[in-house]
Amino acid sequence: MALVSASISAIIIFYSFSYISHYENQTEYYLMVVLFFGAMMGLVFSGNLIFLYLFWEITAITSWRLIGFFREKLHVLRADKAFLVTLFGSTLMLIGFISIYQQNGSFDLAVLKNSHISNIAVVLILAGILSKSATLPLHTWLPDAGVAPSPVTALLHAALLVKIGVYVFARLFIATDFVIDEYWHIVIPVIAGISALVSAGAAMIETDLKRIIAYSTVSQIGFIFLGLAIGNEIGVVGALLYIMMHGLAKGGLFLCAGIVEQNSKTKDITQLGGLIRTMPITAVSFLLCSFSVMGIPPFGGFFSKYMVITAATQSGRLWISFIFLAGAVMTIIYLLRVFNLVFMGQAKTQPVKEGSAVMLISVALLAALSLAGGVLIYYPSQFLQLTVQQLQEIYR
Amino acid sequence: MSENILLLPVIIPLLAGILILAIRQRLGGLREIISLLATGSILLIAIALFKQELTYSLPWAGFGMEFIFRLYHFSAFILLAITVFAFLIVLYCCSFMQGKNYLNQFYSYLLISVAMANGAVLADNLVLLLFFWEGLLVSLFGLIAIGGREAFKTATKAFIIVGVSDLCLMIGIGIVWYLTGTLTISKITVPLNALGSTAFILLMIGAISKGGSMPFHSWIPDAAVDASVPFMAFLPASLEKLLGIYLLARISLDMFKLTAGSWLSVLLMSIGAITIVLAVMMALIQKDYKKLLSYHAISQVGYMILGIGTCLPVGIIGGLFHMINNALYKSCLFLTAGSVEKQTGTTNLNKLGGLWSKMPVTFVCFLIAAASISGVPPFNGFFSKEMVYAGAMERGLIFYLAAVLGAFFTAASFLKLGHSVFLGKRNRANENIKEASWPMLMPMIVIASVCVIFGVYNRFPLGKFIEPVLGGQKPVEHLTENTTLIVLTALVLAGALLHHLFAAGVMGGGNKASDHIRNAPILSNIYDRAEKRYFDPYDISLRAINKISKILLSIDRWINWLYDGLSVRLVCLFSNEIRRAHTGNYSLYLLWSLLGSIIILIVMLKGLGSW
Repeated sequence: MALVSASISAIIIFYSFSYISHYENQTEYYLMVVLFFGAMMGLVFSGNLIFLYLFWEITAITSWRLIGFFREKLHVLRADKAFLVTLFGSTLMLIGFISIYQQNGSFDLAVLKNSHISNIAVVLILAGILSKSATLPLHTWLPDAGVAPSPVTALLHAALLVKIGVYVFARLFIATDFVIDEYWHIVIPVIAGISALVSAGAAMIETDLKRIIAYSTVSQIGFIFLGLAIGNEIGVVGALLYIMMHGLAKGGLFLCAGIVEQNSKTKDITQLGGLIRTMPITAVSFLLCSFSVMGIPPFGGFFSKYMVITAATQSGRLWISFIFLAGAVMTIIYLLRVFNLVFMGQAKTQPVKEGSAVMLISVALLAALSLAGGVLIYYPSQFLQLTVQQLQEIYR
Repeated sequence: MSENILLLPVIIPLLAGILILAIRQRLGGLREIISLLATGSILLIAIALFKQELTYSLPWAGFGMEFIFRLYHFSAFILLAITVFAFLIVLYCCSFMQGKNYLNQFYSYLLISVAMANGAVLADNLVLLLFFWEGLLVSLFGLIAIGGREAFKTATKAFIIVGVSDLCLMIGIGIVWYLTGTLTISKITVPLNALGSTAFILLMIGAISKGGSMPFHSWIPDAAVDASVPFMAFLPASLEKLLGIYLLARISLDMFKLTAGSWLSVLLMSIGAITIVLAVMMALIQKDYKKLLSYHAISQVGYMILGIGTCLPVGIIGGLFHMINNALYKSCLFLTAGSVEKQTGTTNLNKLGGLWSKMPVTFVCFLIAAASISGVPPFNGFFSKEMVYAGAMERGLIFYLAAVLGAFFTAASFLKLGHSVFLGKRNRANENIKEASWPMLMPMIVIASVCVIFGVYNRFPLGKFIEPVLGGQKPVEHLTENTTLIVLTALVLAGALLHHLFAAGVMGGGNKASDHIRNAPILSNIYDRAEKRYFDPYDISLRAINKISKILLSIDRWINWLYDGLSVRLVCLFSNEIRRAHTGNYSLYLLWSLLGSIIILIVMLKGLGSW
C-alpha cells in the first residue's frame, strides 16, 4: 500500500510541475501536497485507532485546502462541502472508536484483534469509511470536488484519499479481524453494489469530463469494497490488486482529462470532439487506461475484476455478482462514450495542442504501467498473496 | 521436441505485431514481409505440431489460474485452421490493402489477433482462455476503428456487445471454479444442477456471441460497411467462428457433458434455428455484396449451434465440419467481394453486373463457394449440412424444417447475388475493369479448391480432423444411407432455382429477385422496422440502459439534495432559533447561566445520590 501510494504520488508531483506552474500560490500547493502524503504515510503505518483518526483528519484538512485552491466562490463552497461531509463521517467514526474502547479497553490494534464489536460501532465506523471513500450515500462531495486543479483531483480520487477509507476498512475488518455479525457480509456488498450502480448511471448521463471520471471512481470503489467485504482470500487479494490497478489507471484518466481541460479550456464533453488527431498520445493513453478500468485483458484491471467477481460467486451469493456484472457493463459503456465524444468524431473546437512533454510522459507512464500490471501479473499477484497470507498468519 | 515450442504460435505474431507498430509508416514492403514471415512460420509450426500431444505450464496469478497450454487433436486442428487462414489473408492483403490508410496498424492488429486466437485455442485454463479471449477485443476495436471516419461507432458497438458477453463468460468461469475447485479445462466435469446450468448458459453466451449468433450479431452487418474486407474475411467469417464454436464444443461436450434429453440442448437448438431463419431472411433482401455476406455469416453459425445442440454424434460432427467448411467458403466469398470492390470500386448490387467475362477466376471461385454454402453436392457444404439435417431430424421436425428453410433462402440469395454481380447486363462504368492481381487470386483459388477437396473426399477431413474430437466415435449412419434427406435437399435447391428464375423474370433483373419477398404484405412491415433498427438488441438495450441511468442519476441527485438542500436548511432553521436567544440583554443572559448551573447541580446531586 505504502509502495503504491508513494510511487503514484511521485508521478503526480512530476506532472504537477508542469501543470501548476501557471498559477499563483505554488508554495502553498506544494506544502499541502507534501503534507498530504506525509499524513497518508502516517495513516498507513499507524497501529493505533487514535493515531489513525489524527492522520485521517490531517488529510481532510489538506484536501479541503487543495480543492479550494483557486479561491473562487464556487470552489470554496465545494471544498467546504467535501470537508463537512468527511468530517461528519469521521466524527461518527471517532465515536465508534470510543465505543470500542469502552468495550475492550484499548485503542491498540494489536491488542484489539479478534475482538467482538457491537453493531452500533460498526455502523459508526462504516459511516466514517464510506464518507472518506465516497461511497453511497456519502459520495456526492467527490464529483463536486472536481473543480480542483487537476493533479489534486487525480491524487484525491485515484490514488489516495478515497483509498484511505478502503485501507482502514481492510485494516480493521480484515487484518485486525474484528468479529462482526454475519449479516454485515451481505449488507456491505449490497451497499457497495448500489453505490456502483447509481454512480455508474450518473456517469452515463453527466457531461462534465471530470465529474464523469469522479463518478466512475465512486463506482469502482464499490468493487473494491465488494472484494474486502466478502473477505475470502481471493476477494482480499483481488481488492488489493484492484486498489493498485485502479489507482494507476484512474490517475492516468484524470491526468489526461487535465491535459484536455487545460488545452481546450472546456470540460464539457459535448463540446469536444476529434481530439485524437491533434493529441494522439493523450488519446491513446486515455484509451489504454480506460481498458484497464473496464477490466479488459491484457491490462491489469482484468485480473482484479475477475478476482473480485469470482470471490462474490465463491461466497455462494450469485446475485451479488450479477449486480456487479451490471456495474461492469455500464463501466464499459460510459467510458467508451466519453472516449468517443472527446477524441473521436468531428472536431468542434479550435485545433487543440498536445500537452507538454512532462505531462505526456506522466500519462504515458501510467498507461504503460497498467499494461505491464496485466502482462506481468505473476509478480504483483504473488506479492499480494504473500502479504495476505502473512496477515492471516500474524493475526491468527 | 521441447514443450516450449507451444509458446511460439503466440509469441511470434505478437512480437511481429509490435515490431510493425514500431516501424515507420513510409517503409513500404517491410511490414508485408514481416507479416508473411510471421504467419508463414506459425503455419509451419502448426503443421509440425499436428498429431502431437503436448502440455506446457507455468505458475501464474494463483488461485487456480495457471498458465497451461495444451495441444491435443482438437486444439491442434483449430490452430492449423487459424494459421492457414492467417497466412492466406495476409497474402491477400499485400495486394488488396495497397494505398489504404493506417496500414501499420492494420497489420499489427491482425497479427495480434492471430496471437490472441492461438493463445485462446491452446489455453487449458479457463482464466487463461478468458485472458486471450477478451484480449481479442482490443485488436477487434482497433481493426474496425481504422476503417474510416465514422467507423469508431461500429467499433464501439462491437466492443460493447462482445465485452458484455465476455463478462458473462467471466462469471460463468467463477461459478465453474466454485463448483469444481479447478480451472483446468481438461479436468473439469460440471454437474448440470441449477447452478451448473446457470454456469453453462453464461459460458454459452460467451461462446456463441463470439461466433456471432443472434442476439449478439448486430455489429457484424455494420462492420461489413465500415471495416475492410480482409478484416471481415478473417475475423467474423473465419477466426471468430472457429473460436466460438470451439469453445461451445468444449463446454458442451467436455465440461458439461450435455445429453440429448436436457433442456439446455433444446435451448441451444432453438437459438441455432432462430438464428438461421431470421438472419437469412435479412440476407435475402440486402442490396450490398458485403452486407449480404455478413448476414450469411450470422445465419451459418446457426447451423453449427444447431448441430452441436443436437448432442448426437452425427449432429456434432456435422456442426464441427460445418464450422471449418463455413470458414472456408465464407472467407472465400468475402475475398471475392474484396476483389470486386478493388476492381470496380463498389459493392452495390445495382451498379454491378456481367463481370464474369472480365473476372473469370473470381467468378469461378465465387461459383464454387456459393454452391458450397448453398449445399450443392459434391461441395463440402452439402455434406456438413446433410449431417446437421440428420441430427436435427432425429431431435424434432421443427428444427429440421427451420434448417431446410434456411437452406432454401440461402440458395435463393446466392442465386440473386451471383446473377446480379457476375451475370446480367454490364454497367457501362465497368467496361474497362481487369481481373484482380495474383496475390489476391491465390488465396481464393486455394480456399476454393479446398472446398472441392473437402467435398469430394469428405472422408479425409472427417476422419483426420473431426472424428478424433469425439474420441474416435463414428457417426451412426453413413450419408449414403440417408437418401430421403438427400432427395429432400435436392428438391429444396431445385425449388430455390425455379423461384429465382421466376422472380428474376417477373421483376426484370437478378438484383430484384427478392423484391417480392421484401414487399410481401406482412413481411414488408417487419422489414421496414428491421431496416430502421427497431429490432437491434444493441440499440434496444442501450436505450433501456440510458433510461435506467437517468433514474439512477435522479437518485444520486436526491442524495445530493440531502446535503446541499436539506442539511443546509436544517442548520439555518436551527441557528435562527438559537439566535433569538441572543438578544444582548444582560439580565436574560444571567437567567440562562442560572438555569444552566441549576441543571448541572441537579445532575451532580443525582450522581452523588446513586454513589
